[in-house]
Amino acid sequence: MALKNIKSKVLRVYPPDTNTDEVISGKYKYDELDLKKLAVHAFESIDPTFYADSQKVNDPILIAANNFGCGSSREQAPQVILACGVSCIIAESYARIFYRNSFNIGLPLIECKGIYKAAKQGDELEVDFKNNVIKNLTTGKKLPMKPIPEFMQQLLEAGGLMPYLKAQHK
Amino acid sequence: MGKTLAEKILSEKSGKDVVPGDLVTVPVDFVFGQDGTFPLAIQQMEKDLGTRKVFDPKKVAAVCDHASPSPSEQVSNVHIFMRKFARENGIHFFENGDGICHQIVAEKFAAPGKIVIGADSHTCTHGALTAFATGMGSTDVGAIMAYGTTWLRVPESFKFNIEGDLPKYVTSKDVFLHIVKEITADGATYMSMEYRGSTVDKMSVESRLVLSNMAVEAGGKVGLCPADAKVKAYLKAHGRENEYRKIAADKDAVYSDELEVDAAKLEPYIAVPHRVDNVKPVSEVAGMHLDSVCIGSCTNGRIEDIAVAARILKGKKAHKDTRLVVYPASREVLAQAIKLGYIETLVEAGAAVGAPGCGFCIGRTVALGDGEKVLSTQNRNFKGRMGNNKSEIYLSNVPVAAVSAIYGKITDPREVL
Repeated sequence: MALKNIKSKVLRVYPPDTNTDEVISGKYKYDELDLKKLAVHAFESIDPTFYADSQKVNDPILIAANNFGCGSSREQAPQVILACGVSCIIAESYARIFYRNSFNIGLPLIECKGIYKAAKQGDELEVDFKNNVIKNLTTGKKLPMKPIPEFMQQLLEAGGLMPYLKAQHK
Repeated sequence: MGKTLAEKILSEKSGKDVVPGDLVTVPVDFVFGQDGTFPLAIQQMEKDLGTRKVFDPKKVAAVCDHASPSPSEQVSNVHIFMRKFARENGIHFFENGDGICHQIVAEKFAAPGKIVIGADSHTCTHGALTAFATGMGSTDVGAIMAYGTTWLRVPESFKFNIEGDLPKYVTSKDVFLHIVKEITADGATYMSMEYRGSTVDKMSVESRLVLSNMAVEAGGKVGLCPADAKVKAYLKAHGRENEYRKIAADKDAVYSDELEVDAAKLEPYIAVPHRVDNVKPVSEVAGMHLDSVCIGSCTNGRIEDIAVAARILKGKKAHKDTRLVVYPASREVLAQAIKLGYIETLVEAGAAVGAPGCGFCIGRTVALGDGEKVLSTQNRNFKGRMGNNKSEIYLSNVPVAAVSAIYGKITDPREVL
């Protein structure tokens, strides 16, 4: 598989059922179409310094427990995470619509049982897509990750759903 | 092998004999978005596909419901952006005050066996009319608008067998709150939630819309009810009887999970902050002061809900320390409620009745103040959902909300009515 390994620091660790209202509040998304301007409000209600901190790390990684991204279908949720520079999310599990939305826009979501307890803010991780392993370079611990489904890999490689479909319909 | 409702519809639509886990490409019968999601779908379509032309204008709708009537110049400009696209393409366009996308789609477009995709998580609502209906994001909806098809993973199915008579003041809302308490907020993730049994058979389509609407709150992809005579009558009442088809799950269908619900043992429930699965019997929270009571939304803003609220509030007044806010789910619901005298009753009881739309549910046109506590008939009580992180949202059925408005505190209707 052609996905390039990701090596970076954990920016945040979010609890179970972190929802899309917490990722980006509905009060902003109805009157702002510029995703870069929306991004400054990412996680604002539960984590007011998220945006500022995200700008201090290169390609940060987010860690979460189960059911990350539950709630609304708002694609602005993965969009603002991407706009903050996040390289990937590693969680115990994801809500369905958030999962689909993220791959559609080229944000890799990785499922890994045990990651919520195995990674702390500031740890350096390596996502090894070839061997489907998450290595915590800070603690030395390794965890197996669920391989990304073939179709989702194709979406990522194409740069998202739209470029993928454009190539298909040529 | 027997098929569940989801497997049946997806087999037919894909032309393949599908099993859970299969990826299929299907034609989409109806696609829609609202003011929070549709503009981004247009942008994605235009930016990445270089087109603004939809595949079939009869199968596409844009609805101004979430921030409607527009509360700001920014939202007004977003609505202009939507209107321009709608005019160019000749798609269905629903204005400020026409109502909530899910109610409009139920009244005018959803029907058994259809694939309905909406850029809104509560699109699963249309499973009550036996449509394979699911929420997606703006990019997916943009792609469907351009090509008319989408890919779907065939879901595993979770059977909810609901038997018996619901006690007085216990509604389909309580059935769902009981289910989500049992299976938790991710208990049916990626699954088709299929509701059946004598309780569902007896329920009105309006009540079934509540079960299907809230499927996403347990992670469900769709929430399906059987196509029966009640669905046929609902379609007939909306001038669409010809769209009826009987579709039922096979007797030997394979479900990956099952839950039995004894309807007679259910009570009115309250989902307490800040999680939908944080469910308690009303008796455990009764007596708590409320700053506001909100009746409406795509969950409980239908005519049967407005009728119950009006019946309870007739000749009474909302408590002086509690604001009562009512938002009918559509223009049709409001018109009916006016004709039947319900609006007069509610207004006399002190209600602020708003133009049909999402109103209070997402805090964009009605918001809470710091420290306020609200009892609402909507589907979500996430922190900040109603526009303020420092407020608390409690969820209930309509009878509990209406009676609580009179007393100004969470009140069990079985105690006082």
